[in-house]
Amino acid sequence: MLASYVSATGHPASAKADKIQSITGVLMGCFLLAHLHFESSILLGKEAFYTVVQFLEGGMFSSTGHGFPIVTKVFSVFMLLVVMAHAAVALRRFPAQIGQWRALRRHMSVINHKDSHAWFWQLITGFVLFFLVPVHLFTMIANPEIGPHLSADRVYNQNAWLLYALLLPAVVIHAMIGLYRVAVKWGLTTKRTGLRKLAKGLIIYLIVIGLMSLISYLIIGSDLSLPVEAYRPS
Amino acid sequence: MSLEATKGRMLTFNIFRYDPQEPGDKPKMVKYQLEETPGMTVFIALNRLREEQDTSLQFDFVCRAGICGSCAMVINGFPTLACRTLTRKYPKGDIMLMPLPGFELIGDLSVNTGKFMRELAERLKLWLHPISDDLDVHRLEAPMDPVEAAKLYELERCVECGVCVSACATKQMRETFVGAVGMMKLARFELDSRDGRGLEDYYHVIGNQDGVFGCMTLLGCQDNCPKDLPHMQQIAYLRRKMAVTLV
Repeated sequence: MLASYVSATGHPASAKADKIQSITGVLMGCFLLAHLHFESSILLGKEAFYTVVQFLEGGMFSSTGHGFPIVTKVFSVFMLLVVMAHAAVALRRFPAQIGQWRALRRHMSVINHKDSHAWFWQLITGFVLFFLVPVHLFTMIANPEIGPHLSADRVYNQNAWLLYALLLPAVVIHAMIGLYRVAVKWGLTTKRTGLRKLAKGLIIYLIVIGLMSLISYLIIGSDLSLPVEAYRPS
Repeated sequence: MSLEATKGRMLTFNIFRYDPQEPGDKPKMVKYQLEETPGMTVFIALNRLREEQDTSLQFDFVCRAGICGSCAMVINGFPTLACRTLTRKYPKGDIMLMPLPGFELIGDLSVNTGKFMRELAERLKLWLHPISDDLDVHRLEAPMDPVEAAKLYELERCVECGVCVSACATKQMRETFVGAVGMMKLARFELDSRDGRGLEDYYHVIGNQDGVFGCMTLLGCQDNCPKDLPHMQQIAYLRRKMAVTLV
C-alpha cells in the first residue's frame, strides 16, 4: 500500500544481497584467520609446516603419506567462487560515480568519524583485492604444490613475495574491519569498543606473523639449490 | 572570587561564511575572537559574536536547551548541537564551525533541515496510520500498555536535528538513502500497536537499497546523535526483521 509512494520498493534481492555479502565475508574472514596461522607454521620449522600441509592435503588417505595437491586446487576453485560472489554483491557499496567519490571525500574532510574512515580503508583494500586475490588463487589452481621448499621456491625464485607483501596487509585490514562490521551490522554484539580493539589487535598480529613467515620463506628460498626438490622429513 | 574577576581565555572561532543569496559571494572561513565566560556554550558564543562583532552571521536556534534541534552544526569535525557543546571542551580554545553537510544551505551555519524532514516524512508517511478507519471522537481511547508507551517514548525523543544525516557517509553518497532518522521514525510506528501498517508495508519502504540494506553500518548516526538514540540496535533490529520477512 505504501509501495507506490516511494521511488524504490522493497525487494527480496536487496535482503539476499546483504545476506550473501555478510555470509561470504564471514566465511572468508574466518578462513583467513586459519590460513595465516597454517602458513605461519613455518616459523616453527620446516617439519611443522610440512606436517600441517600434509594434514590439510589429506596425507592420511594416501599410501605415501604426502597428500594430494589436487585438494588445494579444488579448494582454490571453491574460494574463487566465494570471492566472486562476495565481490558481486560488495560492488553495490562502491562509489561507482565520480560524484559519489567526491561526496565521500568531502564528507571525510568535514566529519571526523573513525568507523567511516575504517570503511574507507575497507573500500580501498577491497578494490586492491580485486586484482591481487585472483592472482593468488590462479597460482594455487595452476601450481598447487605447497611445502617448505616448494613454497619458498615460489616466494624467492618466482618472486611471489611481491604479491604476498601487497596482498597480506590489504586482505588483513579488509577482513578484520569486515568481521567487526558484520558483528555490529546484524546486532550480534553491542560491545563495540572491545570489538574494535580486538580487530585492531588482530590486524597488527596477523600482519606481523604474516611478514615474519614471508621473511622466513625468503631465507629458506635463498638457501635452496636449483632445481628445487620437495622437502622430505628426515 | 566573583565571576567578573576571572579573566576568561581568548577563544578563536573559525567560521564558515557563505551567503548563496548574495551574488558573487564565495565560501570562506572567517576568524573571530571572543573571551570565554563561565559555562559558555558554542550557542552562547555565536549569539555574542553576532551581537558584538558581526550582525550578518547566520545560524539557527530556538530553544537553547537541546530540544528543538535547530542549532546542529559541525563543531571541530563532529556534527552536534551548538547549545549542548561547552566551549571549555576545547583545551586549545580553537573552535571550527561548519554547516551540516547534506542539507540545502541557507547561509553561513544555517541549513534547511525542515525541508528535508518534511520531504522524508511525506515520502515514508511518518505519521500514525490507525488500524481502523471508523474514527469516533466520542469514543474513549484504549489505554496503552506502559511498557509499550515507554518504548515509543524512547524513539520519540528524536529532535530532527539532522546530525545523523550529516554524519552518514552513505547518505552523502546516495541521495535517496533514508538515513537513520527515517528508519528510527519507522521503527517507532512499527512498535506502535495503534498503527495498522504491517511488516510488509514497512518492507516496501525500507526493505531495499534505500533503506536497511543500503546502510553500510558506518555508525556515524550512532556515534553523533545528540539525543543518544539507539540507532545501531534499531537498524540492526529492522535489518534482521526485514531479512526474514521476505525471502
